[in-house]
Parts: sequence; structure tokens; C-alpha cells
Amino acid sequence: MKHKLTTLSDAIRRIPSGSRVAFGGNIMRRQPNAAVREIIRQGIGDLTVYAFATGLSVDMLAAAGLLRRYEGVYVGLFWHGLAPSFRRAVEAGRVEVRDFSESSIVARFQAACSGLSFMPVKAILGTDMMAQDPSVVMETTCPFTGEPYAAVRAIAAEFTIMHGYRADRFGNVQWPLARDADDVDQIIARGSRRLIVTVEEIVEHEDILRQPNLTYIPAQWVEAVALAPFGAHPLACDTVHDEDVDHIRAYAEAGSTPECARAYLDAYIHAGPSHDDYLARFGGLAALRERLSVARSDA
Amino acid sequence: MSTDYTVNELMAAVIAREIADDDLVFTGVGTAGRPFTLAVGLPVVATRLAQAAHAPGASLYWGNLLSPDLDRMPDSWLQDSFTRWPCASQLTETSQKIDMLARCRFDVSFESAAQVDRYGNLNITRINHPDGSLKIRLIGCLAQPEHLAFVRKPIIVVDLSHRVFVEEVDFVTSFGHRRRGVTRERYLLPGPGPQLCVTDKAVFDFQGEGGSMRVRSLHHGVSLDEVFGLMGFRPEVADDLAETPPPTAAQVDLIRTRIDPGRSLLRA
Repeated sequence: MKHKLTTLSDAIRRIPSGSRVAFGGNIMRRQPNAAVREIIRQGIGDLTVYAFATGLSVDMLAAAGLLRRYEGVYVGLFWHGLAPSFRRAVEAGRVEVRDFSESSIVARFQAACSGLSFMPVKAILGTDMMAQDPSVVMETTCPFTGEPYAAVRAIAAEFTIMHGYRADRFGNVQWPLARDADDVDQIIARGSRRLIVTVEEIVEHEDILRQPNLTYIPAQWVEAVALAPFGAHPLACDTVHDEDVDHIRAYAEAGSTPECARAYLDAYIHAGPSHDDYLARFGGLAALRERLSVARSDA
Repeated sequence: MSTDYTVNELMAAVIAREIADDDLVFTGVGTAGRPFTLAVGLPVVATRLAQAAHAPGASLYWGNLLSPDLDRMPDSWLQDSFTRWPCASQLTETSQKIDMLARCRFDVSFESAAQVDRYGNLNITRINHPDGSLKIRLIGCLAQPEHLAFVRKPIIVVDLSHRVFVEEVDFVTSFGHRRRGVTRERYLLPGPGPQLCVTDKAVFDFQGEGGSMRVRSLHHGVSLDEVFGLMGFRPEVADDLAETPPPTAAQVDLIRTRIDPGRSLLRA
């Protein structure tokens, strides 16, 4: 196996502007926020993002003016309301959206996993998702039964970025024994072409060998792995740290105007060149751990 | 009969009667304030009322947890509380829930919406200007289309208002019974579509012409004119229009002392 451990900035530098990128995570956890902040530092723009249910990561890209198009099931801040910069950009026509339901977006990721160009689904028949864009969704019929289906196009992401729990230097990524499983990261990873994973912790290969059934992303799918503790912050990384409610609230408030949103990016992202500089805004890793860490259920 | 009850307690009692023994009930994760009460609080309280009475075997799906232990409900709704909540099954990932929906394994679901129309079409995606251009971007679609396509008894839970109850939704996120003459039969959707709409003023079913909304009962003290005045279209009215049965004193007591003593579920 090849060594794939690299730095966050090196991993992200591989992504050209104009790329189609899939994100892992879910509304309140494990969005690849450290990676997104690095994208913002490097000014990689004109991006198309595919995701399941997401929010803060996509909102930061919209605030930075780097998002061109989003395809997925949800963008929002959960308890803290709509995603303010994303909403503003969509309403101003600066960001295009293609809406999908959960089964239809998962089918699109699943098609990519299986090397197919499309998948049939039922749930969105009769909805306004059907007529939004014939390049990604069309009605079709089953060749055997004649039943109507929505044909949804395979996701063809050039890059995929997700935040995981722990990995070895070869890029074998493991989840904990008990976790919050409300996501489809494994499917998104399985259908990826160039997969970048940030993780909370780099562990010895020997640790991976001990419980190989926990390896949800094997090294063979991975192009680069980078250490980024609290890489989902201010969202949670379940079993490692909880969500930073105060900061998510502060983020939501900062989004109330474009000027405040830009000031937020200046203060938290552009102020320093690295993820460590971001963490330093919160007193550093030790202080964050002290405040937000949770007991490891598989420890 | 209890006269001391809140509208939330009444709505919970109405929903509880719709939950049968051994039903698998889909609960959303909701947001803050009133939307949380509508999407999460009322369904959870109703499920517990049903379990205490006629449906001991009913169980919940909540946040990708199957049958979480409702006697050990988390104190807070932060991420870590969900991760640690004891449950019968933590599905490996969300696509398993989606497959469970598509295989019609869910009996009851609850739907909130920014707009609901005469035929139970729902919109949680976008509000348009009169010319059809985008005015307000909302959250997206989530799994609501799956609920209306596959669940045996989807129940819409919203407050009655002119803004929400519109003749035709701006965007069909989830297909109800009919749109511009096209019905569910056209798409061979496996589920029956929305079955009930429970509001703070009245309860509706979809037994009207062509699957259209029909007033089934009015809450105590609410008139038909008040209901019509809060809607952007005129629903049909059931021949046997009744007063919504109030919660019993025992139900109210159960909610206040056992199910939700801290008002964290029926909070707004």
C-alpha cells in the first residue's frame, strides 16, 4: 500500500477551480469544514458541490463567492435556521440549485459506485424535481413491467472530500463501533474518483489491523489523507466532540448581511494560513477538547 | 372529560388515535421553536400516548435510531445525546432508512411544510414571486417525497394559516393526491398519499372529491368560518362534521407528569 498521508493544504491544492466536488457529512456533523476553509484560503472557486444533507460547509463557500452550483437534499443550519449566505446567493441568482430527495440523491451516488450512468427511483415522480433539468433527471419506464420511474443521473464528482474519525498513513479510514450513522459517507466514498479524507487522528497500521471490520473507507479508494482534528468544527464529530452551539449561533448571526459574512471569513479563515490558526481562534486544540470532547464509546 | 388542556395536548391526542399497535412511526428531527413542536414534539408525545393506551408495541424511528428507549430520552438535543441514546438498532447508514421507506416498512410519518395545497401537495423547497421566479430559498426536499410516496399513513402537522394553505403550492416537493388533473395512479406510487392534516384549529382528511382536503372536525370553540378565513382555498366539509374529541384528563395528566414534565417537547 502506498503512503497517502499529506498536509491539508497539499491535498486541497490538487483541486482546480471549476471542479465538481462531492462532500460527506450531515447537517450537524462531519462536514469537511477544515477542507472547505482551506479551499477558501486558496481561493478555489466556480465549484459545483454534491452532498446529502449539508449546511455550514456549503454556506461558507457561498459566503466566499466560490460556489457556482449545489445539488443535494438540504442546506441549512438546523436549530439555527436557514443557511444565510447560501440562501442569499441562490436568491440573487449567483448559485444554481438542483434539488433532490434523499432516495434520489443516494441513487445518484449509488450509480457512481456501480459504474452506471443512471439509476431509477420512484419517490420524486409527480414532483417539481422532475422538470428542473433534463440533464440530471428524466422520466423513464421499466423495460420489464412498463412502470414509470424517475431516471436520475450518476454523480460524476471529480473530487470527493469528507471528514472521518481515524486513519492510518495508507488511508484506511475507520469509524467507531457506535456512532451517529445518519449519513451516507461510505456510499459517497465508494463512488468517488479522487477522494480526500481529513481525520481526527492518524493511528498506527497495527491499530487498523486489529478491527478491520471498522474500516469503512479502505485505502484503495483514497487519494490523500490529512490530519485535521476538529476538522468538522463548529459541527460535531460524533464520539469525538460535540457541536459548538455558541459558535454555530455566532456563524448564523454573522451571515445576516454579506458584510458581516465577509468579516467572519476574514476573522476566522483568512486571518491565518492553516487549520491550526483557525483552532487558535478558539484557544487551540487543547482548549477545544476541554470544552467539547465527549467520552469515546469504543474506548 | 377534561376541559383543562392546551391545543398542543389536543393535537397530540388526535395524532395518538391514528397510531396502531406495532406501528413503526417516523419522526423528523425538526428545527427550533414552533417547527420543533410540530415536527418532533407532537409526534413523540402522541406516540407515547398511544403506547400507554392502545399501542404498546408502537415504536419510533428518530435520527437514524430504530426504537430508541423513550424512557431514557436525552435531556438535550445536541449531537452527542443522539449518539449515545440507547436504541434497538442504529442503522449502519441513512440509505438503509431510505430503503426501509421504499419497501413500505413505515406505517406513520409526520410532515411539516411551508405550503400545503388542496390535494395535499407539499412545499418545503422554495417560495416564488407571482411570475414564478424565486423569492425565498427554503431548505430543500429531505425525505419528504419518500414519505408521501411510500408511508402507509402520512400525517401533515401544521398550523392553519392563509400563508400555508394555498390553492396551489409554488413547488411540489412532495406529491399528494393530484396535481393539475394528474393523479397518483399515473405514477403507481405504492403508498396512499397524505391521509390526515392536523392543525391548531381543525382536523382535515383527504376524502373530498379527487383526494381533496375535507374538514373532518373542528376543535372546541372554532367555527367553520374561522377555518375558511385562515385558508387560501375552500375545503370540502364532511357530512358528519364533528367537534374534535378533546384529550382525556388521564392523557393530559400523563403528558404533564410523565411524558413531557419539562415541556421540552411541547415547548412552543
